[in-house]
Amino acid sequence: MSAKAPALEARGLTKIYKRGAEEIVAVDGVSLDVRCGEFISFIGPSGSGKTTLINILGCLDNATSGSLKIGGRTVFDGAKSLSESELTRIRRVVFGYIFQKFYLIPTLTVMENVLLPFAFYRKEEARTDPMDILRFLGLDKRVGHRPSELSGGEMQRVAIARALVNKPEILLADEPTGNLDSKRSLEIGEVLRSLNERDGLTVLLVTHNPALAAIAHRTVSLRDGKIAEG
Amino acid sequence: MKRENSMNERINIYQVAFKNLLRKKTRTLLTILGIWLSAWVLTSLLGFNRGYESALNKDIDNMGFQVLLTAKGCPYEAATLMLKGGTGLRYMPEAVFADILKHPEVEKITPMLMQAVFDPNKGESGGISAYLGIDPGTYPAMKSFLKFKQGGWFKEKETHQAVLGYEAAELEQREVGDKILIPEKNIEYSVVGILARSGTQDDGTIFVPIRTLQKDFAQEGKVTAVAIKVRKEANITTLENKLYDLPDVQVVSMAQVKTTIMSLVSTAKVMVFSIALIAILIAVLGVVNTILMSVFERFQEIGIIKSMGAMPWDVFRMIWTETVVLCVIGGAAGIGLSFALSKLTDLLIRRLLPYTPTGSLVIVNGSLALTTLGIVLAIGLLSGLYPAWRASRVRPLESIRSEGD
Repeated sequence: MSAKAPALEARGLTKIYKRGAEEIVAVDGVSLDVRCGEFISFIGPSGSGKTTLINILGCLDNATSGSLKIGGRTVFDGAKSLSESELTRIRRVVFGYIFQKFYLIPTLTVMENVLLPFAFYRKEEARTDPMDILRFLGLDKRVGHRPSELSGGEMQRVAIARALVNKPEILLADEPTGNLDSKRSLEIGEVLRSLNERDGLTVLLVTHNPALAAIAHRTVSLRDGKIAEG
Repeated sequence: MKRENSMNERINIYQVAFKNLLRKKTRTLLTILGIWLSAWVLTSLLGFNRGYESALNKDIDNMGFQVLLTAKGCPYEAATLMLKGGTGLRYMPEAVFADILKHPEVEKITPMLMQAVFDPNKGESGGISAYLGIDPGTYPAMKSFLKFKQGGWFKEKETHQAVLGYEAAELEQREVGDKILIPEKNIEYSVVGILARSGTQDDGTIFVPIRTLQKDFAQEGKVTAVAIKVRKEANITTLENKLYDLPDVQVVSMAQVKTTIMSLVSTAKVMVFSIALIAILIAVLGVVNTILMSVFERFQEIGIIKSMGAMPWDVFRMIWTETVVLCVIGGAAGIGLSFALSKLTDLLIRRLLPYTPTGSLVIVNGSLALTTLGIVLAIGLLSGLYPAWRASRVRPLESIRSEGD
């Protein structure tokens, strides 16, 4: 995708969960454009719908209604939900994910964890040496270590390296610093900003931390499933 | 250099699956132990199934004849004769030979005369000695597989010479050149041969020329049994049916003897196979439980793997591989154990069964090992289906939803 071209175009995205007879509107008619190379942070109180929104944008979930285009291609138009396999095919090409928990495989080394996505799929353009990514993230001396031998910040950086190894177009980071202290949180924030500035990677960041949110180009504030600001 | 190394590094689904098993080493080891024991029991049982029948066939083939004709009601086993105290002998006239030989299925026959004698010097309170009168012209040729420890067969049709079975010689403490006395007749026989151990009733028998025994016991022209060797191409059942028409004789078919023994043993086999089946079922449940627990424990991790781009089939394959690895390691170890303990298993079975043939009862070989490994692998593939299917259905969203907004 070329710079400034639309990476994501969401129109009227709505997600309704049913709990018995009760309907819960988690995302309520959100329309949003994300340009390639943009760094957007999503903030809002708990239950505001930011994780649900990022899950829909990242093809981890289907919306109840609305439409979503990725790189100009319609992947969801509200008429029908995508199957798990269809969502997987989009995910493996377009997205890299980082979560609050690192989900590293404890029996694999740092390098093996980073290379794990290649066990399932390798993009043609994913020719970057994983060692370059690990060096950039300051993990080049830790390649043979197991996750239990790393600090929380290092584990999250391994998770970032794993998300980057298949050269995603968009990096989704859902509370990536939720398990880290403030110093480590800012370090991770710096890593995300560097990736955005150096590689032009599109980054969507969900956080409770206003200081971390401030490093993005744009901040989208959510309240009761709607965009309140941004 | 470093760049090349990292680029060349690879990890595949199978390596991930194998390393996953190392996560809970004790649990993995216990599961393998269950499969190991089941595979051992299964291999030993299959080996016994083959070995017993083959040993029995060998024993029956070693009898040298396929059909035995005795006078009606006459015991044909030396052991039965001894249990009855040497009584109950019935006789057939030698004229019956012509009636047997007229059938085209008959290749050759050999007559036998069994006599049981009470010997007061045998053991502490005396005992029964079994004398078998045989024809030196036909009997040695029919039982050509009999080996001698000392000496050889008597050559003359009528002579006071004897050949002792291995155990009879041990019991009587006789060697070639010694004499053996029939106390109640006060007749002596010279020992000209001692047979090597055969594991059959021949071991306890004293062989003498049939003509001599007939005269010594005043049974001229009479026999207790006629052994019949059937032509290879002939139908034994057809011959047996023809022989049933002869008056006052009973036809003992070795095939029937084998069937009777096999049906007796089959009861024991069914019991042991049931135990093996239960052991295998427990092992299968152990495998399912281990892998399913491992799937539940890694629920979030599997979800993340799917978010990386793993398709349901990739996850299915990964979990299935874990099951197969457990089963192959356990199965191979169990097969190894059955090879190592086959002699011990043989001894154990001999103690358990009322009758066992002489050869090796448990035959464990390469083809059996492959069969067992195939069975264990099939069990592994089957028992891995459900956990692998459950894992393949994990949705990444379900696994990360716990993080909430």
